Amino acid sequence: MSKDLLAEATRALRETEPVGDLEARATRSRVMTGLHQTRIRRRTRLAFLLPLAASFVAVSAWGAASGKARLVLDRIERLVGVTVVSTPGAAKAPRPRLAASPAHSTPSPEQAMLAPNREAEPVPAAPVAAPAASVARATASPKPSPGQAERADPTFALYRVAHTAHFVDHDPARALAAWDAYLNAAPNGEFAPEARYNRALSLVRLGRGKEARRALAPFANGAYGGYRYAEASALLERIDP
Amino acid sequence: MTIFGLAMVTEQALAGDAELADEFVLRLQRAEPNAVAEVYDAHHAAVRAFAKRLLGDAASAEDLVHEVFVSLPKAVRKFRGDSALRTFLISIAVNHARHHVRAAQRRRRAISAYGDTKSLESSDPEREARRKELAELLTRALDGLPIDQRVAFVLCEVEERSSREAAEIVGAPEATLRTRLFHAKKKLRLALETEGLR
Repeated sequence: MSKDLLAEATRALRETEPVGDLEARATRSRVMTGLHQTRIRRRTRLAFLLPLAASFVAVSAWGAASGKARLVLDRIERLVGVTVVSTPGAAKAPRPRLAASPAHSTPSPEQAMLAPNREAEPVPAAPVAAPAASVARATASPKPSPGQAERADPTFALYRVAHTAHFVDHDPARALAAWDAYLNAAPNGEFAPEARYNRALSLVRLGRGKEARRALAPFANGAYGGYRYAEASALLERIDP
Repeated sequence: MTIFGLAMVTEQALAGDAELADEFVLRLQRAEPNAVAEVYDAHHAAVRAFAKRLLGDAASAEDLVHEVFVSLPKAVRKFRGDSALRTFLISIAVNHARHHVRAAQRRRRAISAYGDTKSLESSDPEREARRKELAELLTRALDGLPIDQRVAFVLCEVEERSSREAAEIVGAPEATLRTRLFHAKKKLRLALETEGLR
């Protein structure tokens, strides 16, 4: 009985009267309107997004080629009040120096400014990394080995020589010559701002006040954004003309 | 792309020409209004009938039909031509049916709560009343089934499609479909028996 009832009900459902022509036409209009709106939305999206994407690509390319992108970003960061802590090896461009740790011994202000801050200095392919840097590296993509990096950019070797003379051997005369060599080879190189600042420090240590003032002036004038701005200004006040 | 698949779109337009068939699918992908309109005119009745039988509610069925044809330009990218376009449209309807089933159930509950009964206009009022009553009874019983079993029952029993075609529509093996149908019928018999005795 129940089987017959199911069969009968199924037949009844199958014989459901067709929807009127009016409803079918109304739905057809809705479909056409929906498609039209979809096309308009897609065109509007393209018309809006394509020029935007093209402008972004063009500006990024120009900024990367002219080296101004970093400066613009630094200025924006200063305006917004946001600073990004960069890792030594990964630093593409200069960043403001971090505040000195209170745990360190407190040298005189000039000494403090002249003292190299190893954590803030970019060391291309340095064999030993600071703990913070190693944490950052663990999350970042793998870095090329020293040999690879130097093969990719021969000026890295020059930077390395200057870095060793400045930070390891503490020989300002040799460091100055090495910084000059690096800057001659790569005036717009990846570490050119750091090299210029370290060169200025070498001049200060050698007692060549006039040249040191000239070298520090761009940093104190904000030509490199916030990078070494405060240190350069403070040094300029203390250096004899 | 087989011609068989698209031959049912518009017989005059395609006329067994593979290049025309491909061109037509491209036009559909570009959401060309004329192409979608052609498909609508050729197949809306079949899609609507299936939607009405599956949902048991005319308004929800219209919404489902609308959704099927609006989403056709995007969905047709997956169309390989190894089945008829009509079958493909029904499979789009199946994929979009889930939330329409719920909407139709809500509407039915609301109508029954307000005690709305449709007027009977037929040359044989008694027979028509019985038919409607049974159809409504079955639709309510279908509400108690999982969507997969519901689709299997409507495709195989109400629309009298072969299990092979129904399996193709739902994208499941034939054996799975037959199992779903078996369970659906078992539950429906029980539900109808209970409802019928009230």
